[in-house]
Amino acid sequence: MPEWLKPILESLENHIETASANIKLLDQALSGMEGSYVELLTILALGLLAVIPVLVPSRRRQALRHLNQIFGIAIFIFVVYTCLGVFGMIRNFHRGLNEIGRENIVALYYCSVPVTVLVMSMIFGPTFCGWICPTGALQEFAGMIFGRWHRCRKAEGYPFSWKMLAMTILIALVFLGWMGYLSVTRVFFIEDASIYWSEVLILLLLLLVWKMGTWDKRLRKLRVLSFFIIVAAAIASLRITSPVHFGFSKVYDPASLLATVMVVLAALTVPHIWCRYLCPWREAIAWAAKHSVRSLKTDHEKCNQCGVCDMVCGVDAIQKGVIDPHECHMCLKCVDACPQKAIAVKDKWKAES
Amino acid sequence: MRALLALCLIVAYALPARGGESPWPALRGSCAGEAAITWQAPATAPAIREWHFKPLSDRRFQVGLPVWASPAVAIIDDRPVVYIGGYDQKLHALDLSQKTRLWFQITNGPILEAPAIGYLGNREIVFYSSADRSVYACDARTGRKLWTRELVAPSNTLGFCWLSAPFLHEGVLYITCFAYDRALARNAQSGWLVALEMRTGSEHWRREISQGFLSSPTGRIIAGRLHLYVAARKGLLQAFHASSEGLETLWSFQMAHEVLGSPVIETDGEQPRLFLGSKFGRLVALDAKTGEMLWKRMAGNWIDNTACVATVEGESMVLVGSHDYNLYAFRAHDGEMLWRKRFGGEVYSAPSFFYLKGEPLVAAASLDDHLYVLNARDGSVHSIFFTGQAVWDKVSKGETLWGSPVALEMEDDTVIIQGSYSGLVYTLPLLGECSLRSKMQAASTLWIGLGVMAALFLLIILPVLLLSTRPHKASRQAE
Repeated sequence: MPEWLKPILESLENHIETASANIKLLDQALSGMEGSYVELLTILALGLLAVIPVLVPSRRRQALRHLNQIFGIAIFIFVVYTCLGVFGMIRNFHRGLNEIGRENIVALYYCSVPVTVLVMSMIFGPTFCGWICPTGALQEFAGMIFGRWHRCRKAEGYPFSWKMLAMTILIALVFLGWMGYLSVTRVFFIEDASIYWSEVLILLLLLLVWKMGTWDKRLRKLRVLSFFIIVAAAIASLRITSPVHFGFSKVYDPASLLATVMVVLAALTVPHIWCRYLCPWREAIAWAAKHSVRSLKTDHEKCNQCGVCDMVCGVDAIQKGVIDPHECHMCLKCVDACPQKAIAVKDKWKAES
Repeated sequence: MRALLALCLIVAYALPARGGESPWPALRGSCAGEAAITWQAPATAPAIREWHFKPLSDRRFQVGLPVWASPAVAIIDDRPVVYIGGYDQKLHALDLSQKTRLWFQITNGPILEAPAIGYLGNREIVFYSSADRSVYACDARTGRKLWTRELVAPSNTLGFCWLSAPFLHEGVLYITCFAYDRALARNAQSGWLVALEMRTGSEHWRREISQGFLSSPTGRIIAGRLHLYVAARKGLLQAFHASSEGLETLWSFQMAHEVLGSPVIETDGEQPRLFLGSKFGRLVALDAKTGEMLWKRMAGNWIDNTACVATVEGESMVLVGSHDYNLYAFRAHDGEMLWRKRFGGEVYSAPSFFYLKGEPLVAAASLDDHLYVLNARDGSVHSIFFTGQAVWDKVSKGETLWGSPVALEMEDDTVIIQGSYSGLVYTLPLLGECSLRSKMQAASTLWIGLGVMAALFLLIILPVLLLSTRPHKASRQAE
């Protein structure tokens, strides 16, 4: 590494670390709650967040959804201590299940967030992904920067793009440079394995530059592998920190921060790239929401296949009115955008008029 | 014959204390918290080698739970012996030179705090507390129990009882105790400071000094009198003049936040300073005589444990770990940060300061499952040891010592002794052969790992995935 670069990176790292430490100043007011059962109010908080998609009026639904996402980020960073990101939530769930019958309160503590999310998904559909998830929200907000470009690429069937190639190379350089710096300044452990997910994210980006149109759906199966790797690691008691984990632990965690930055940068290039290809929790939610009470339904008699829904969907879960429930985040953008009002939320518990 | 034996024992224990000082009188070995002793090993003594002692082999209770307490070390009959308790409810005496357990004593509760070792006559006695509400005294050589003193009476409604590590001074054992009784009628919640006679265990006095948890007491002689310091969990630090006669409050200092560790005091100088960290992450330095605050500094997150005061090249420094993954070194005089070292996890343990062939080193354990040994001058890494996966992931914070390391300095090597969450007590030589020395320090390991992952993904995972999957059903329908 060039000598002139080192002080710049050191200064940058110090600023990040200071900012990370300052989060805890805000957090101190809540530290009395930590370790007490009051923390279980997070179940209530998450439950309320989940009910909001049902309650909000359709007129300003997307604005309210973004507000809900911002609120979700705050709730997860300052209240939900047991989450620790997408990997940590699976690990803590495993630990909580192990405590059942031995320390039931501890079991409740660790199972509270994953059980709430899964039950919520069984009832309301995958609203957690579209309305609450902080990682998803970060990607969505990042993706808005190049929203028009993404829509153009989608309309053209994701052809090869020099701009995308340039962005990917730039992201890869950021990753390699940061890794170069970290490799000489700190010791890495198994828990830092989230950098491997970042590496795979960059490799995926390189593939998607040429093959997004044809391989997009097939590559999504990687989520299953990602899920089973994390479950196996949880069973083997291996702690792997996930992207955005540093936000929960409130300390400067370089590997987790790097993984988060990579997710955000990659989402500039391919919308919701983490949710599409690697998020293990997204896969679990899709399974839980398979027979959910609330789901989206298209009235094909009304649908004129105009393709507006295709354009607004951030995860390509809809094509000409045909919804893929396994990929849908239930953000309801398609419902709001459909000029024919052909897409609607179907509620199995609601009596049909 | 029995009377003669009893007389012999009484005479033996009634002899004046050897050298006047206990070999390990307090929580971390001394009021400065250095947690290290020196051993002039005889020429015939075998070298101390790596040893992983598993105290749960003849398990009796709570299988697989970790060692939380910090050890105490003493030289008994010219051989180093470590005393450590665990969740198996036993105090173990481990002979490091022979790698054998000399003896163990069973209590009726987990041993969560460090023992202390003092003299009665010419004999070394180990004093320790257990969660069974009792203090024990055993002969350090044989394990023979001398006395047991129950500090809190049993009750059906007794909720929890916590006894600290003892502090020994001039034949008196000082210990703190917190107990609460959940019966509405009693509604008792008390933290006592208790003074016991070291020889018999009889109680000199006790005083309720808080209604919450109390830290382990520590103290030193200032102006010819013992100054005893105890911090209450709620942040109230109190200083006393203490003796077997009674207790006199000198001053108190209210920290702004909860306190999880015990205070430490400089051993040198006429104006000794006292250091204590808080849950807010603030380390304060006080005048140990008057309680006046000298300076305060912030760490990035909670200070989980007791600090350690060390003197390097004539300059006194405070070493303290924090929940922000860092070990800090502050100058004791004015609080200026000398260095800090970032680890891979929260630094939950109290540091230990020692020398290796004249080089000042500091050891501290981190929640990244590693024990770090750093150069105390600049914080550079000397060695890293893998001390096993934690039994639990992200255990709750604070509370106790969490297996802090202690050091045994010798002429040609230094060994670290650490009770770990993995349920083992490790003896790790710094220069000698050691299998747990971390191999993950090289930057090349990281790059090789990234290369292997890229190859694995591109050559195996991706082809298998593409060959085994077809376009999704929904896409086919759409087409």
